[in-house]
Formats: sequence, C-alpha cells, structure tokens
Amino acid sequence: MIIDVHAHWGPWFFTMDVAGASLATMDRYGIDRAVVSHTEAVIYDAAAGNRALARVLEEHDRLLGYVTVNPRRLDEAARDLDAYLPTGRFVGVKIHTDYTGSPVTSARLRDALALVAEAGCPALVHTWGTSVLDLAQVCLDTPDLRVIAGHMGADGFRYAIEAAAACDRLYLEPCWSHAPAGRIAEVAAAVDGRRLLFGTDATLIDPSSAFGAVAAAGLAPDLAERVAWRNAAELFRLDITD
Amino acid sequence: MMAPMTIRDRAGITGTAFDAWRLIGDLEVTLDVDVLVGAYPDRDGPPGTPAEVLGTLARHRIRAGAVAALRAALFDVPSGNDEALALRGAAQDGTSFVPVGTVDLRDPIGAARELERLAAGGVRGVRLFPDEQGVEAGFPSVGHVARRATALGLTVLTGGDVRRFWRPFAGIGARVVFLDTHFYHLGDFLVAAADEPGFHTSTRLLNSPDALETAAAEVGADRLLYGSRTPHAEPLVPLLRLATGGLSPDEVAAVAGGNARRLLS
Repeated sequence: MIIDVHAHWGPWFFTMDVAGASLATMDRYGIDRAVVSHTEAVIYDAAAGNRALARVLEEHDRLLGYVTVNPRRLDEAARDLDAYLPTGRFVGVKIHTDYTGSPVTSARLRDALALVAEAGCPALVHTWGTSVLDLAQVCLDTPDLRVIAGHMGADGFRYAIEAAAACDRLYLEPCWSHAPAGRIAEVAAAVDGRRLLFGTDATLIDPSSAFGAVAAAGLAPDLAERVAWRNAAELFRLDITD
Repeated sequence: MMAPMTIRDRAGITGTAFDAWRLIGDLEVTLDVDVLVGAYPDRDGPPGTPAEVLGTLARHRIRAGAVAALRAALFDVPSGNDEALALRGAAQDGTSFVPVGTVDLRDPIGAARELERLAAGGVRGVRLFPDEQGVEAGFPSVGHVARRATALGLTVLTGGDVRRFWRPFAGIGARVVFLDTHFYHLGDFLVAAADEPGFHTSTRLLNSPDALETAAAEVGADRLLYGSRTPHAEPLVPLLRLATGGLSPDEVAAVAGGNARRLLS
C-alpha cells in the first residue's frame, strides 16, 4: 500500500507528454492512491483547474483531489472549498507559492492558510530552501492548521528537520528531481516518524525519483509503512481496511 | 465535512512498500559515466574514498565507474589526475574504475597541457566542472578546451546547464556527454543533439515519466548514458528509472553501459 500525497493530473509545458500517464505511472510503482492537483489549477487558473479535476475524479476512484487555492483570489478559493470539500473526493488544499507569486512570508499566503485551517483540511504547500522554516512559523501562528511541506525544502531539507521540530502540525513530503545521497535517511533519523509522508510530484516527475530515494534510505518496516500510507491515511482521515 | 473513503490494502506483498530491487530485477550497469572520488569541502557529504565508492557501486550492481577526482577539479589538476589514474585496476566485488581526467577551466593554458598529458597516457575521457569552478559557457576557456580535447580524440564529460554548454561544443565534431541535463531542459538538448551526432546526455536527471523514451525516439537511445554521480547522489534513482521505463532490452543495455564503453573504453 502506498499513498502518494503529492501528485498532479493534466499537461505540463515542458518537452513531455504525460497528461494521461498518471494511472500507468502509479501502477509501475505500486501506488494505490494519489492525491492530485490539476496542473491548470496550479499553473494558471485555479478555479478552472479545480472544475476540471472534479470531472476527472468522477472517473478515477484511485485519485483523491486537492482544491488548489490561489492566495491572490481568496473569494474564489472560499467558493471552491465550499463546493468541493463536502463531496469527499477532495481531501486537502494545494498552494504553489511560486506560480501564484505568493511567498510563504506574504500576508496573502497567511490569509489563505487561515482559510484552509477554517475548512479543516490539510494544505500541501510548495517549499524550497529556507521557506520551510517560514511555513513552520505560519503554521505555529495559525491555530488548527495542518500543513505538508512539499519537497520538504528540496535542497533545504536540513531546514525541514528544524521546521518539523518547531511545529508538530507540519508534515514533510520528499519529492524532488534531484537525489542527494542520504537525504531521506538523514531526515528520517531526525524527525518524528508520524510526520513523514510519501509524495512523487507525478506526473511532472516519475515516481522513480522519490521511490528510489526512499528505498535507498532503507527504512525499518514500521517506519516504511508509516511513510508509505499510514501517516497519510491519518492526516487525510481516510478509512483504511486491511 | 469530508466523507471517509475506504481503501483496501493489497494482500500478498512482502517486505516494505519501497522495495526497489523487486522493480530493478536483474539489470546491471556495465559502465556508469558519472562517478567521483573525493569530497566537496563546502558541503556535508560522503568522504568519497575509493573503497567507499567502489562499495557503493558494487551494491548497486554497477560493474564499472568512469571516475574523476575532485582533488583535480577543486585544487590541483596534475596530482588529482594522478590520483584518479592510479585507480585503474582497483576492484571490489566485481566492480572497477575507468579513470577519466580533469582540467581546470580557470587555467586554459595549463588545461591544454594537461589534455596532451592525459591523451598521451591513454586516457579516453576528460571531465569538466564548470559550476564548481565558477566558469560560464561563454568564457573563452571553455571553447579552447572543447576544441583541444576534440582534436585529441577525447570524449568530454561536462557539467553545467546544457542550454548554455552545448554551444562551445557545437560545430567542432565534439564527442561530449552532458552530465547535468535536467528533464526541464530536455527539449533544448534534443534540438541541439539533432544537429550534433556527438552529443550525448547522462540519464541522471531525466526522471520525468517519458524523458528517456522521448529522447530515444527523437535522437536514439545511443545518445543516453546511465550516470549516477556516486557517491554524492543516490544511484538507485536513475537505475530504477531505467529499469522500469519503456526502452527495449537492447536499448536498456546500451544506456546501462554499452554506449559509455563505446565512448570511453
């Protein structure tokens, strides 16, 4: 059992044609469920992308959805949260700080995360470098917010260790196209195992990147199970039947 | 607010969910084009001793590594290259080194001399470290070294952004492997490689779901070389990508070392 908490559906603007690759890619790595955001919502138009994802989720029961929020358009975001979260097919919020020009330190990102906390679901937020520390501070300042640090800071993974120590409502998700030796093992040794998740960034990145990096860490079986699905199931309040 | 969703666990799976070797199967790499000995003084990372590096390669069924010395890249070229060349013949658990030379792009005059020495010593490849040496693709030094290495019949293994570093190697008949090609920049590599039969790329960062397959379809799998950057990156990641992708068995074997042997052995 693997739950991928950082995945996408839809086309990308690079030299790639993976718009329909999601399920085949999941199968290749034994990923049972993926929580996806629509690329249109992340990159260009959150509302249009959320609408498109709602239609996709009707077709694919292995996918769960993120409502993508553009912090510059919170009225629109509030409407989307009200529309999609009650369906049960959307289980969280995705916020990309770069594509929306909304750094973790910005007031509008704080306002967006306050809205997410009120909605009661977790938020996956893009982090890179030291921004994961800023995210921990926002989480500390926002009661009841549960937040996933997407990419766990990428090259700033040691900051992610600090961030996780600072805020017990912050979770780490490892995907990155680079795989520095020992990155996952170092984080796993230093962070509470209940706050480590698995994510791939598929279909932008092949799951081999995150899967291989986690495999290289040689996690003990109990921790591997937590990372693979148990923590995600608890965080998203999914009912898992063995 | 959110309706619970039932997910049924799959029965019959043993071990952890992250069993990479189950997916890799019996794939072996016969020559990894991107291996280093030595440590970066500005980074926390492995010490990069030859024994440690050989051990890591062997554990990943990588039977040979084209190895360069960071000592040469970061400090002193002649003694660093001597350190790398002395690794010829070193072996552990069926894995060995294929040494490649290094020059310093901050010293194009000395680099040209070192290229002559390397070629005379039977070395087939020279590795460039433009990022580590703070050298940009447009610096005269890069074009100079590219031309001299090509004239000596050396294969060049170069770091740097392929969108910039293709240019000094274009139009001179260079045989070059771009070690840092990221899948974000695959399109730039492909259009450059279409005009340059000597352009190749490492697969290390070609980890989108279709990068290897797209490259094979556009310019041929003979342009792709498995590279791991052992011991500073996880060799398992590009290994897994290659093993689980859509290339034919012959193409996989070529990428896993056949192409590198053609260029370096």
